[in-house]
Amino acid sequence: MQQFLDTTLGGLVLGAVYAAFALALCLIWRSTRIVNFAQAAMAMVTTYIALSLINVDVPYWVAFLAAIAAGFVLGAVIERVIIRPVEGKAELNAVILTLGLFMVLHGLTAITFGVQHRGFPAPVSTSAISVGDTSIGITPFGILTIVVVAVVMAGLVVLFRFTDLGLRMRASAFNGEVSRLLGVRVGRMLTLGWALAAAVGAVAGMLIAGGDLVNPAFMDPFVIYGFVAAVLGGLDSPIGSVIGGLILGLSLSYVTGYVGEHLAPLVALGILMLVLLVRPSGLFAAAAARRV
Amino acid sequence: MFAVEDLSAAYGPVKALNGVSFTASRGQVTAVLGANGAGKTTLLRTVSGLVRSTGGSVTLNGKDITRTATEKLTSYGLSHVPEGRGVIAELTVVENLRLGGLHRATGSEPMPIERIFELFPRLGERREATAHMLSGGERQMLVIGRALMARPTVLLLDEPSLGLAPRVVAQIFDLLRGLVQTEELTVVLVEQNARSALSIADHGVVLNLGKVVASAPAAELAADEQLRHAYLGF
Amino acid sequence: MERLSSFIGPLVRPVRSVPLAWHLLVGLLAFLVVATVIGSSSQYLQTRYAEMAFFAIAAGGLTLLTGLSGQLSLGHGALMAVGAYAATLVLERTGGETLADVFVALLVAIAVCAVVGVIVGVPAARLHGPYIAGATLTLAVAVPRLANQWEFLGGEQGLQVPVPRAAELPAWIQDLVWFFTAAEIDQYSFLAYLGWLLLILAFVALANLSRSRVGRRWRAVRDDDVSAELAGIHLGRARVVAFTVSAMCAGLAGGLMAMNVRLTAPGAFTITLSLTLLAAVVLGGLGSLTGALIGAGVLAFLPHFATDLGESAGLSATQAAEVTPVVYGLVLMLVILLAPAGIVGSLRLFLARSSLGSSTKEKTT
Repeated sequence: MQQFLDTTLGGLVLGAVYAAFALALCLIWRSTRIVNFAQAAMAMVTTYIALSLINVDVPYWVAFLAAIAAGFVLGAVIERVIIRPVEGKAELNAVILTLGLFMVLHGLTAITFGVQHRGFPAPVSTSAISVGDTSIGITPFGILTIVVVAVVMAGLVVLFRFTDLGLRMRASAFNGEVSRLLGVRVGRMLTLGWALAAAVGAVAGMLIAGGDLVNPAFMDPFVIYGFVAAVLGGLDSPIGSVIGGLILGLSLSYVTGYVGEHLAPLVALGILMLVLLVRPSGLFAAAAARRV
Repeated sequence: MFAVEDLSAAYGPVKALNGVSFTASRGQVTAVLGANGAGKTTLLRTVSGLVRSTGGSVTLNGKDITRTATEKLTSYGLSHVPEGRGVIAELTVVENLRLGGLHRATGSEPMPIERIFELFPRLGERREATAHMLSGGERQMLVIGRALMARPTVLLLDEPSLGLAPRVVAQIFDLLRGLVQTEELTVVLVEQNARSALSIADHGVVLNLGKVVASAPAAELAADEQLRHAYLGF
Repeated sequence: MERLSSFIGPLVRPVRSVPLAWHLLVGLLAFLVVATVIGSSSQYLQTRYAEMAFFAIAAGGLTLLTGLSGQLSLGHGALMAVGAYAATLVLERTGGETLADVFVALLVAIAVCAVVGVIVGVPAARLHGPYIAGATLTLAVAVPRLANQWEFLGGEQGLQVPVPRAAELPAWIQDLVWFFTAAEIDQYSFLAYLGWLLLILAFVALANLSRSRVGRRWRAVRDDDVSAELAGIHLGRARVVAFTVSAMCAGLAGGLMAMNVRLTAPGAFTITLSLTLLAAVVLGGLGSLTGALIGAGVLAFLPHFATDLGESAGLSATQAAEVTPVVYGLVLMLVILLAPAGIVGSLRLFLARSSLGSSTKEKTT
């Protein structure tokens, strides 16, 4: 029973981070119809930037904000310079391009910082909380993780539903040409979409790194797990990304806890194939919006 | 005042517009007519900058807007309701309208959404509905309303009657005529349904294969049987 | 020149008109040239050539899959792993002492991968674009991890691969090699000859497939699947066949790789391997076997060159090793941005355009 509780709580924490990462992928998909396979590497880069700052005695939370800012800039530059030429072209091109970017970011970070594992601090304790004699399978950092992700999500909801900027971004994603006719600077909205997504990814990277070891490959599992979570929920649906992330986090936690950690990617593959073959647009596919 | 002078555009080697010229006056409806493929839609898309012109000019109230970026045109007072209506299906009625008002003509007063609902009560009843749930006629009203949110002086409409029942077409055209008079709009109305268009137009321009073959007051065009048979299908 | 070609033409025409015969002839000549080159090369080069061979086999299958059939697969590293492990396990059982052992192991690798190819290919046939990319990428990560899970697959340390000693190969082979290259066959040259022999055979088979009805079906499905279906082509079947063929190539390549590296461990089959294969195929030009060969050459020769470059620029050994993936990544990005058709594709476009320009004016619709 204790193990079940622990694995469930661990799964929720992991799921929260997958949710954030899947949200980032969803943001990019909605704005540019591209799956950004380099997202994980981008999050890794921003985390290393934060680590560099922390290593020169910059306070943790300042470094956290710096990572988010770096993500914002990185996402914007990448969209404007690298991705813009392939938007609207054959989807194969964007896939290959982002994969290439993944390798470049990965390799450059390894060259700059080396491949060894480095410790990453956490702002709060990463030891399991004890209530009396029993320890509950969640740490203060885990709780912080869930809170941060919830805040990010709330922020995005507010942005998209209640602000003019969010309206512009949604319109640009749904129908770029009509939006242009209405005066929306669609190009800028697309760049903003990537910038925002990269910022969210940066948050995910920081949450994974906290209290753990990082090396250039530490975000690599997210390449596939983030993708699976996003597809599970539906690439077009932000709510789906969150639910998909939670489901995936819990599933992988149970598999790792009860069966074997080496089977986790296989289980993820199984979930992915199940979704793609049974309900390809994801669990939360909105009623197919017809364009007229 | 809106003027197109010797405008040309091409899709690769195919010349879609070949030196088209006409003017549209304030407080008037200018119908642009012609068969399928005559270049009517291309004309509007070239004016809006979605298609690059290969020659000629477009002037709006004395300002040359030939090379202006598409996104800037609403701030100059030009609104284009595209072919197929261009409703953003995933957004609600209110959101579509709000979107239209975000980039209104420079120096103009914001248009209250309630005004649009006064003009189009049907939209008011369905204000929270997602746009894809609207009927064809309701969508047409929505996109006209959305265009009006930007306080345009010139309104370009591409085939508003497409796919709509005659009664609905008549309703919308009546509304349009009314708006032109009360708001002193300049309306350029591209239509394949020449009969209905001429019934509310002041002036008519007939295109064929990218060239202007006739430009005259609407009544004259409607009376010219030979012309009607040759280019307008009635 | 004209007289010469009008003389050779009729001789060659009967052979040219039968694609298989032509390909075999070209293959035979190619092998003779290659064997001569291998025979006179240093050990270092022979190892590189051997690597190039198995990379080319995998790349050849992948380029046909992606270029002709339009299915992007990022999981061919995993398929190579399957082939490698299958071959290794067979060699362990049989002892791996004779040439027959080698061929049995490779045949088993191909067969196992054929089965896996069908299993993966059937669901993959229904996916496209980023979905098949993501799914195959997940496969690429999931499969090698299975080796960590089960004992008999050797775990993290992997399995040793027994390979016949060159000195114990059949006498007729040793004599043949001595006759043609004036050198004794040794471990390095043996693997190079083996690799290239299999590469040429594989490419002959792939080239034939490409030219055949099967290949035409693949292209039809890739270009316009609605029309293809209306024309009576079974979409799923065509795609699965393409996937399976490419998987078999990957299996063969994996088996050869196992024999070259002498160790089959999960660490050799990272995401990077799959992406590296993709880089080779994209660089060469999707759908082109020649391009796959060029790409494979880059894969075999670049890493050492890049690492040396890195070390001479002052990087540590581990850091210098990271230069290679950066180069592959840049290759992927630059090719897509600047010359999406790859080397061979761009060359073909360039030649087509220049010949179009110089020929008499023709109306093109």
